[in-house]
Amino acid sequence: MPIYAPTLPPAPDLSQGHPPALVLLRFDLARLWRQKIGRFFGFVFTAILLIQTAWIYAKFLMQTNQTLRPLEEYSKGLFAQGADFQASLLNPTMYLLWFLVALVGGGLVARDSLYRVRPLMYAHPVAPQDYLLAKLGFASALPFAILLPFALLPWALSLALAGVHGPVWVTAPLRLLPAMAISSILMGSLAVGASSLASTPRAGIGWVLGLVLGAGTLTSMLHGLTGLRLFDGLNPVMLAEAWPQLLVGVQHPLVAWVPALLGTVFHIGLWTFVAASRTRPSEAVI
Amino acid sequence: MISLDRASLRYGPILGLSPTTFELPDGGGITGLLGPNGAGKSSLLQLLSGLLPPSGGEVRIFGEAPFRNPAVLARLGLVPEGDRLPTGLRADRWLRMMGELSGLSGEALQAAVAQALQTVGMADRAHLTFARMSKGMRQRIRLAQALLHGPELLILDEPFNGLDPEARLTLMALLRDLAEKGTRILVSSHILGEIAQLTDRILLLFRGRLLAEGTVTEIRQLLDRHPVELRLTGEAQALARWAVEQPELAALRMEEDAVVISVRSPRDILPRLQKAAAEGGIPLRALDPLDLNLDAVFQYLTKDHA
Repeated sequence: MPIYAPTLPPAPDLSQGHPPALVLLRFDLARLWRQKIGRFFGFVFTAILLIQTAWIYAKFLMQTNQTLRPLEEYSKGLFAQGADFQASLLNPTMYLLWFLVALVGGGLVARDSLYRVRPLMYAHPVAPQDYLLAKLGFASALPFAILLPFALLPWALSLALAGVHGPVWVTAPLRLLPAMAISSILMGSLAVGASSLASTPRAGIGWVLGLVLGAGTLTSMLHGLTGLRLFDGLNPVMLAEAWPQLLVGVQHPLVAWVPALLGTVFHIGLWTFVAASRTRPSEAVI
Repeated sequence: MISLDRASLRYGPILGLSPTTFELPDGGGITGLLGPNGAGKSSLLQLLSGLLPPSGGEVRIFGEAPFRNPAVLARLGLVPEGDRLPTGLRADRWLRMMGELSGLSGEALQAAVAQALQTVGMADRAHLTFARMSKGMRQRIRLAQALLHGPELLILDEPFNGLDPEARLTLMALLRDLAEKGTRILVSSHILGEIAQLTDRILLLFRGRLLAEGTVTEIRQLLDRHPVELRLTGEAQALARWAVEQPELAALRMEEDAVVISVRSPRDILPRLQKAAAEGGIPLRALDPLDLNLDAVFQYLTKDHA
């Protein structure tokens, strides 16, 4: 059997391309950047970052410049030193991040379901795992990429201005980066799982917000009824905020180690399973 | 190129496709996959395009099982049913992404996108977003994504749905052109006329079963097993007298100035009728075959299997 019929033109070289997951991830990223929402959130997060960095610089000035000395007492309240301060570097963005993840991640899979794009993709050499990896990768990489400068820029500035005596620990990135990664994967998997349950992007956004708020309400009720803090581990918002606290060693984190571990594994496992089930080829048939 | 050996597909307890066996040879050409809604066309196309594994039997394309097989998927193109595409996207950007998914990159990708757009006649409108495109244009872009990697086998599921007559003719011409250049094309439709205009090779599906396979002529010959109705207009009494003498006659019905006869093997009786009319042996003014078309074949075959 001839590989190519004699009348067909030579087949293009298909061996030079990038992995499908990377292609899909890059496409989603470029698409977000071209949308107004992408630029809007880019501006908002940059503004927050600049303000935060300006605070660090102000703190440095207050310590070194005599004319600003009277403000130092006041600033100590704002810049509580120690683990709490390290963990708080990421705090200003967390709620906004959840909102962004819902807006962007909610449509990631739902949009493809609405327009029945997956059969088209799966008919190319794209495995369902590639598709899922791309969506989870994008939904997780987005919050991570946004959080990254919030951890690194204050750290670099503190290090440059005051060395080891600066307000940000020299070792802070070693603790904050893994925490950011865990929180980002948690956000991404929940968003992709919720999006895979929806048939339109708007419904996907609703699903993400509903799950986040619903889980929060449920855990508050369970906590209130039983008095057990263990249930806090089911609250994804608290979990995302707790991981930086746990890894930098805050004395009273929002969620303790065991519930945080269990809750995070539960959420990531559940929503990845849901997304995998809902994006199988049999769910994307013609 | 395509071979199915008792391949079947189940969706849980529901049988989508009964064990089906057929082969399509190498080389270019168009094969029509005909059947009413729910006949199993999409199930068959899902098996062929590697979206689902067969529940039983074997599917082979280019000698290999297509399910999750990149070696096969890289050599076939699929255009699923529907014309929806993400509205905010630009066609050229989306095509580039689909090309990359097939393993193209760099200049090869640019050339493939340009070639595919040229083939479907959308080179000058590829910068538009899908929201600004007509159904016909979107259908052509969907076809372009399937052509990017130069597939040897092109599978189209109901590609003419929702297209206006002009767009339909354009798409048909495009498919014929691709087939002439060596691409094997499999087109599904529930409208016989569409397939008859496009190809003479047909697979007929009904309720998950392959009823018939062959050329339009071969399938038409299946009519001989069934009585076919002909209306003979003229002097009814004389026409009826001639008709009752014919061995193929199965039934006869008188009308005011015509007689409607039901005959077996119309291919035998029609030459005699023609000759008798030409020699003045019967007062025939008009002859109307009432069901001597593909629709009749379809109805007969499906009635047999209903």
